[in-house]
Amino acid sequence: MFNSMRQVIKEQIEHKDLIIRMASFDIKGMYQLHYLGSLWQFLNPVIQIAIYWVVFGLGIRGGSPVITTVGEVPFFLWMLMGLIPWFFINPSMLQGSNSVFQKMNLVSKMNFPVSLLPTIKIVGNSLQFFILMILLCIVLLIYGFYPTMYFIQLLYYLVCLFSFLFAFTLFSSTIATLVRDYQSFLQSMVRMILYLSPVLWDPAGDRVPDWVTNVLQLNPIYYIIEGFRDSFLARQWFFEDPVYLCYFWALTLTLMFIGSKVHLKFRENFMDYL
Amino acid sequence: MKVKVEFKHVSKAFQIHTKQFEKLLSLFSLRRRKENKVFMAVNDVSFTVYEGETIGIVGLNGSGKSTISNMLSQVIKPTEGEIYIDGQPSLIAISAGLNNNLSGMDNIKLKCMMHGLKDDEIERVTPDIIDFADLGDYINQPVKNYSSGMRSRLGFAISIHTDPDILVIDEALSVGDSTFANKCLIKLDEFKKKGKTIFFISHSSSQMKTFCDRVMWINYGEMKEFGSKVEVLNKYGRYTRWFNELAESEKKKYKKEMLQKQYANREIAKKGNENSSIISVGKGIGLFIPLILFGALMLFGY
Repeated sequence: MFNSMRQVIKEQIEHKDLIIRMASFDIKGMYQLHYLGSLWQFLNPVIQIAIYWVVFGLGIRGGSPVITTVGEVPFFLWMLMGLIPWFFINPSMLQGSNSVFQKMNLVSKMNFPVSLLPTIKIVGNSLQFFILMILLCIVLLIYGFYPTMYFIQLLYYLVCLFSFLFAFTLFSSTIATLVRDYQSFLQSMVRMILYLSPVLWDPAGDRVPDWVTNVLQLNPIYYIIEGFRDSFLARQWFFEDPVYLCYFWALTLTLMFIGSKVHLKFRENFMDYL
Repeated sequence: MKVKVEFKHVSKAFQIHTKQFEKLLSLFSLRRRKENKVFMAVNDVSFTVYEGETIGIVGLNGSGKSTISNMLSQVIKPTEGEIYIDGQPSLIAISAGLNNNLSGMDNIKLKCMMHGLKDDEIERVTPDIIDFADLGDYINQPVKNYSSGMRSRLGFAISIHTDPDILVIDEALSVGDSTFANKCLIKLDEFKKKGKTIFFISHSSSQMKTFCDRVMWINYGEMKEFGSKVEVLNKYGRYTRWFNELAESEKKKYKKEMLQKQYANREIAKKGNENSSIISVGKGIGLFIPLILFGALMLFGY
């Protein structure tokens, strides 16, 4: 039953060198024609952070801090902990889904495992993500938040993040190749997901009814982003909420299962759909 | 002699969807529809090619040459029949997949990597490729600044240096000038001497005469002739002359008739009788139970 999943994962492991090197070529090609080069990888997020902070932090919240179970946290910091993973999730989801359609022409003429294409996009985007995470840690230190034992579970949430992105892009890259409308649909969906996730506002706050929070928590990105905050703010361990943990992994594995099944089924005929 | 490539009653049918919507419907329909309008791009082609042979493929535009070359290089799968290929085929087409934003140098590295070459192998062949493509200082420029001839030269140089067992050349030489074509033919001769198999698709019968062992003539999806190059090329020459001498209206009528034969109503037999619908995950349905269970728990705030 899990044969297809095993095969797809095996392909990733066998070609891990290829993935990393193709990702580095991807990054190189992206900003080749820009004068500022890969500096844009950091200028873009900085500009966006500034806008969101002004609009949501100063404008809507009037500069008030976010109240969490471990006390008050400045909104700027709270937002960064959500935005930085989001800057990784957003392009990875979109580019990963588009990757097969985009590269099919190039790749089909050689014996190249197509299942690597979404992963290459994820790996390519993760360099920026890791650097921004390190910068975030420095900002946290400046604000006086020192690392605790809870930092260790960042590793767990990174595994969650990559597993989910892998499962999602594997599934959605196949669908996006077969049905082109899906990519446009996804673009608007991702924009919506930003506001349905606890990135810019706190859906668990007092003003939101419980049932709304429950529905919003079904979104797997909610789990990941709150997980990052749990680790940074030393709020709770990941095993303290076993139902949410099981739900997230059930969702991710189901997605990965369907994704690899559909991928293997259609990959020999991808060229017929272009 | 060792059999290198064998086609057994190979057909390739392309489904014709008059509307985009029909295509979508066929993806989601659970039952296989009995009748489908298809276009037989290649119809019941069988042949055997031995190690070290060079095969020319001729035919008019749209006769199915490129479909055959795509099947040879395993880009697309046949709808019917079997293909046996012993070794690693490599396709050289005009639209060689190069990354336009990267420089020629980076493209060499990238493509060699994708062909599965190791680091030291890449290092070894890179000077040869640069030398063969003969682009001068342009090698460090992004490929988007290249002319179409330069692009095909680079594509050809890379593909030929990745050491394939079977080389499929799809009109790739027609873009470059005659000096480059000559250079390529010399290189291909080297290949032949090494005992590699080459498929050569071209409209130039002079190149074929000097270069090929046997020639295959594809006409409207069917294999019309396959045999000694002189015989087949003469027949093909006579055919094109005959066609050219027809009056304009007769030409149109003839083409229409031939194309009509290629349209067929037939059921596309998928390999292993698989359903081509997205919704047929099959036995894995039990996997959804934990997801639904935990989802419900989450919703009710457990």
